[in-house]
Amino acid sequence: MSDVLAIETVDLRKRYGDVEALRGINLGVPAGSIFGFLGRNGAGKTTTIKVLLGMARATSGAARVLGIPASPDAVDIRRRTAFVSEEKDLYDSMTVEEIVRFTASFYPRWRSELEQRYRRAFDLSPNAQVKTLSRGTRSRLALLLALCRGAELLILDEPTSGLDPAAAEDVLQALVAHAAADAVTVFFSSHQIAEVEQIADHIAIVDRGRTVVAGALDDLRAQYRRVQFVFDGDAPAVSFRAPGVVRLQRQGRVLTLLCSGGVDALVAEAHALQPVAIDVTPVTLKDIFLDTVHAEEA
Amino acid sequence: MLWQKSWVETRWRFLIGFAILLVLACGIVMQYPAMRRLMPLAASVGAGTADGRLARAIEHAIEVQRDYRGFVWYQWVSQNFAHTWVLFAALLGSGGLLARSTGAGALFTLSLPVRRRDLVEVRALTGLAELFALALVPSLLIVVLSPAIGERYSLADAAVHAACVFVGGAMFYCLALLLSTLFSDIWRPALITCGVAVLMAGAEAMAAGGSRFGIFGAITAESYFRTGALPWPGLLVSVAASAAMLSATLANVNNMEV
Repeated sequence: MSDVLAIETVDLRKRYGDVEALRGINLGVPAGSIFGFLGRNGAGKTTTIKVLLGMARATSGAARVLGIPASPDAVDIRRRTAFVSEEKDLYDSMTVEEIVRFTASFYPRWRSELEQRYRRAFDLSPNAQVKTLSRGTRSRLALLLALCRGAELLILDEPTSGLDPAAAEDVLQALVAHAAADAVTVFFSSHQIAEVEQIADHIAIVDRGRTVVAGALDDLRAQYRRVQFVFDGDAPAVSFRAPGVVRLQRQGRVLTLLCSGGVDALVAEAHALQPVAIDVTPVTLKDIFLDTVHAEEA
Repeated sequence: MLWQKSWVETRWRFLIGFAILLVLACGIVMQYPAMRRLMPLAASVGAGTADGRLARAIEHAIEVQRDYRGFVWYQWVSQNFAHTWVLFAALLGSGGLLARSTGAGALFTLSLPVRRRDLVEVRALTGLAELFALALVPSLLIVVLSPAIGERYSLADAAVHAACVFVGGAMFYCLALLLSTLFSDIWRPALITCGVAVLMAGAEAMAAGGSRFGIFGAITAESYFRTGALPWPGLLVSVAASAAMLSATLANVNNMEV
């Protein structure tokens, strides 16, 4: 993995009439990473991807993909990028063979040997009409069409959406194997925390059109801590001066904080409140996700 | 390869239109011997019974169809051919252009390394090529089949009428294409285009003496049939309208967000 960014966005905003779909997306996707773009339904993941690929125009802010400013005219981005939409949007009027040949014709670096391998692995019948494919087979075909392009960057919008666990696992394994073998950057959106945790090395969490957390997954796990203070009586209604408090909850005698760093300073500050017990524990990605999202709601 | 996409999307509509027009062309030729036998009877009916607008229409039809060239023009060019061709122009122009309906693949298309301008141009040109074939081949079939009934229909007449139908009617194709950037399904653009065609045909028929700039006057090319003069005003109106609608289609597609 290098320091070069495959995707970079700065304060990306997108408005549809009165609806603000993106309210400040800031991303830095390192080249060679598997980047999980995590958020609830309607958080702005798909809109961000559409702006990156030039399918929608940003209202303000900047987006660069492979060093090229994103816009509908940026054909070079799409030449070097492969995309799989959430709906696995393909041409229903074509057969599997027709859509494979059609797609291959746009990519001089089309990977024929990979195509043969995935055709066998995914059990794709060349004469089957795309519209007759099951959701799982359609996803596999969409993945084949993306992986064989010889692209430097794979962008996948909810790649396992609607798949049964076995099919979802196939898709994730194919992605990991491809990323490892070809050193491509994989940027995938999801609202499934488990699958992001399973394959991503970097993540960003978006909520209501804004990036709320971003970074290397290992760094975030090391950095985030849950701190619980137990008091004799009811937990006091306090706020902390120390930076890094993501969320604060009072429940009876217990004051719980999720903090993104500076635990020592926080604990020192809390000593003045005379808690009877202090407990600092590591957190999972699910904890980070849920707490940051709920903190945004609050 | 964008050609392949456009062809695959429209091939069934094209092939159905092609088959229907070929059958109609055959039918016109084969119908003529019977029509020739009935002509004296038709003349007596026309002369004796009606007056006013209907009488003039009957007399006009009989007068025009006294010979084979007139029969082909009246039955084929001004009726079956023109109406069916315009219907398929509307159908071929509808749908497929970044349509957001299921299975149309708008997101897949926009992820390909092609300019939107190329998408529109290839789609428009594929449809126009199909429509040109729909105009020319059935007309040529009449030329080829006519000797079988002892008649002759000139290649020049067939080519000129096919060209007039194609150029004059192209605006309906372009209208359907433009409407396809506004509606996600196939049927609304096709139905609206057919509705516009019916209204325009009605308006031209109501206009006393017809309009020099009428689209259906250009499609049927009555001036060419009667005097050998091409219906330039109508053809130019159609070309200008088609160009304007193609520009609007391109602008819509460029601004489209899926």
